[in-house]
Amino acid sequence: MRRWRWPGILRMRVRSLFHRSRVEQELEKELKFHLEEEIDEERGRGLSWEDARNAALRKLGGVAQIQEECRDMRKLNALESLGQDARYAARVLSKSPGFTAVVILTLALSIGATSAIVSVIEGVLLRPLPFRDAGQLVRVFTTNDAFPKFPINPNDFRDFRARLQSFESFAAYTHRDLQLAGIGAAVRLSGFSVTAGYFHVLGFKPAMGRDFDRADELPGKGQIAIISDKIWRTRLGGRRDALGQKIVLNGIPYFIVGVMPPGVQHPGNTYHAVAYGNTVDVWTPFTFSDPRDRGSHYLDGIARLRTGVTPGQAQGEMNAAMQQLAREHEGDRGWKVLVTPLRAEIVGRSRSILFVLLGAVALVLLLACVNTANLQLAKAMARQREMAVRAAVGAGRMRLIRQVLTESLLLAVMGAALGAILAVAGVKGLVALLPADFPRAGDIHVDALLFLFTLLIAVGTGVVFGMVPALQGSRADLRESLHESGRSATSSRQTLRLRNGLVISEVTLACVLLIGAGLMLRSFLNLLQTDPGFRPEQVLTASLSLPSVNYKDTKAIAQFGERLLATIRETPGLSAAGLGSDLPWTGWDDNAGGFHIQGETPPPHDDFGGRYHVAGPGFFRALGIPVVRGRAFDEHDTANGRKVLIINQAMAKFWQRGDALGGKLTFSDHPKEDDWMTVVGIVGDVKDTPKDAGARPAFWWPMSQSPFRFSDFSIAIRSNLDVKVMAERLRAVVRELDGNLAVADIRTMEQVANGSYSTSRFAFVLVGLFAGLALLLAAIGTYGVTAYSVNQRIHEFGVRMALGARPRDLAASVLANGMKLAVAGTALGVVLGLALSHLLGSLLYGVGAADPTVIGATALIAIVVAALACCVPAMRATHADPMAALRAD
Amino acid sequence: MSRPSDLIQGTLDLLILKTISTEPKHGWAIAKRIQHVSDEALQVTQGALYPALHRLEQQGWVSAKWRKTETGREAKFYQLTKAGAAQLEKELAQWERLSNGIGLVIRLA
Repeated sequence: MRRWRWPGILRMRVRSLFHRSRVEQELEKELKFHLEEEIDEERGRGLSWEDARNAALRKLGGVAQIQEECRDMRKLNALESLGQDARYAARVLSKSPGFTAVVILTLALSIGATSAIVSVIEGVLLRPLPFRDAGQLVRVFTTNDAFPKFPINPNDFRDFRARLQSFESFAAYTHRDLQLAGIGAAVRLSGFSVTAGYFHVLGFKPAMGRDFDRADELPGKGQIAIISDKIWRTRLGGRRDALGQKIVLNGIPYFIVGVMPPGVQHPGNTYHAVAYGNTVDVWTPFTFSDPRDRGSHYLDGIARLRTGVTPGQAQGEMNAAMQQLAREHEGDRGWKVLVTPLRAEIVGRSRSILFVLLGAVALVLLLACVNTANLQLAKAMARQREMAVRAAVGAGRMRLIRQVLTESLLLAVMGAALGAILAVAGVKGLVALLPADFPRAGDIHVDALLFLFTLLIAVGTGVVFGMVPALQGSRADLRESLHESGRSATSSRQTLRLRNGLVISEVTLACVLLIGAGLMLRSFLNLLQTDPGFRPEQVLTASLSLPSVNYKDTKAIAQFGERLLATIRETPGLSAAGLGSDLPWTGWDDNAGGFHIQGETPPPHDDFGGRYHVAGPGFFRALGIPVVRGRAFDEHDTANGRKVLIINQAMAKFWQRGDALGGKLTFSDHPKEDDWMTVVGIVGDVKDTPKDAGARPAFWWPMSQSPFRFSDFSIAIRSNLDVKVMAERLRAVVRELDGNLAVADIRTMEQVANGSYSTSRFAFVLVGLFAGLALLLAAIGTYGVTAYSVNQRIHEFGVRMALGARPRDLAASVLANGMKLAVAGTALGVVLGLALSHLLGSLLYGVGAADPTVIGATALIAIVVAALACCVPAMRATHADPMAALRAD
Repeated sequence: MSRPSDLIQGTLDLLILKTISTEPKHGWAIAKRIQHVSDEALQVTQGALYPALHRLEQQGWVSAKWRKTETGREAKFYQLTKAGAAQLEKELAQWERLSNGIGLVIRLA
């Protein structure tokens, strides 16, 4: 039945569309016929023609309305009037450019901000990791109370690999940078030493050559390497015969057995961390050299779960295996295993900040919608008369609603277009502002999906805020509006109440954001005010790696260090320089446990442990780490001299009975006189990151006495020279000493420190921007409502002036009205803010979620801004003209 | 005079379709017929009638032709299409169900 109806309908529609004038004429004719029949009937009752016609016309009602409604019934209107509506809307909007600009701008800002944040979240949290079936990948750690997330011991790894059923494959890797010399300038390659199956776990295959296998894990098999696509292209010219070629790494020839394809990503690691991403240049096989060692933990574990196995089940199985190992080996006692999904490991830390930002941006968007609705409503009220006129000349109710909706949509689309531009710029800005170690930053970019999202928000917003004024506007009562020339205050009381509600909610939302921003600001300031424990100003740092071929032992390394420092210290303007194993706040996490302290016993169920470092003369002075008691290392601490140590204040607390300074310590269970090391100095604590509650116990061996070979060094140089000049000087000195050494990671200590603050700064700057935007929107909203109500009452103010009211009183009453809304909104906002602020959780530092200063400041700012927003309309009230008011009545 | 909103829209459609089911009629005649048959209880205003007729026409339930009336005036005559007849059946059945239901509630509840 449906089918054969359609041709007829189609004909009707086409007729309506293309023969419009004929259709209109027919309608007119039809109605005229009706009128004539009506007149005939009236005349049949004995009325004169004139009277009959009047009666008939009365009965017929508004001919124009009937015509318009008939037009509405013919669906062609949907098409035809859309263009009309759009043209009309554009005309209306261009007539009040101020209103239009404000609405478009607020929409663009909020849509742009939302899209930018959402694309960051999409890139970091939602986009799949670039590994095969990344959901099955887990990271494996060992854990105990002191070290909740610790690397794995190589021999434990091998036992796990042999015994476990939960994993489809299991591999381990550890950071091992290598110095490439002989092809171009010497350069430090970011490298990893990996077990067999590492690439298989991640789902990568070499583009050329082969992967490592178990045979490569045996020591003494010769030196082989797999290189990245980048190194293959940049250093080996992308030659097909690169396989089997020799390259010199750390002074030793390595055979290239494989070249990886582009897009091989590093899954991130914890021990001497290298950021997730396209960050690794070279892989070498991990060799198991010491089968008895169960104490050193330095392998990062990664595994692929068998289908259907959860991380929890795998962890259960591993812990059972760990217990078994603890029965077999003393060194494995006290450890458990931790299995976490790779995704959680990569994005875990940034999740909270992203969700806070998303929340903030949602509030801003909501605020923008409320604000636009508010402005539209004000406009709708001002246009009530226009609407009434249009209704009187025959515009249908649907038509009026559609008109207002079209205007809203037009605004929304323009806002969205501008917002998309802002989003692209915003994403660029956000990525630039991101903390240095932010995961997956390289995966963030604006894409088509984001643009769709922007558009969706824009259109949704348009419909939402267009609805309220449309319903309000279309309800306009014809007669009332026409008769009372639009100055009736009573008819709009309901609308005013709605608008007051909108203003209150705007102030509320702004307050919530202000409280969030205030808490972030205080956290950031607290962080900046925290004493870092070192002085980062005017310190240049770099790292050096001494290959074991040319620098066989500690002595050779110490000699190089002495020569380097002796030359560099001749630089004019230099005040201190020193070498050390690591720099503060760079994630150093090398720990030694089980030592003995003369005259002290460790706490029950625990042993002494601390983080170990190496330092040379001048190192503490260059970094500005104070020597609290005793002395720093100097030239007299030689390899053959008395064995000495420097400890930090946290470590000094181990000495409960005796004095830490001059105390003795050994790693030997059966120490000879020579095995004891004497504490000669105590230095100030430096925490691992500025947010940490305290520093871990730590000690330093002098470079000349370090018990094992440290080949990677950091150099710290304090000088008043320009950074670039100093860096060039350092490079020149190193080149002069050994042309095969690369000077890597050149940066100032301030850059290192800033990197550690960047998460807090990022959070504060963004939430602060949102709060500022929110405040601006709320101010616009408050201004809009107040200005509107003053306009409505300008006649009343004139009358009151004529009756002797002083301008001051009028201004005060306007101001008081606005303030009532502001105070209500602020009170609500503070309550809501208090309820929500604990969600900020880990982003806060040194400030409670209910901080009275922040709340006080928020309330003050909100109320002052609202008062300012009310001032202009209040001033206008004082200019009400009493004469005009009287003449009008 | 009953206002268009007093008559449920679907009901007006039903009345129009029923009225022209026997023979084609023009708008004036349809209004008069409904008024007359309902014993003056139902009054259809032009404001409701003509939009309804145009809607029915657009939906393909009625078709229209211009013809001369007995008084010699040109008028637009509406007649039921096949689809309109089917629609009338459907609406009648629906109305029966509805009025039966209402009757039962009024008598028994």
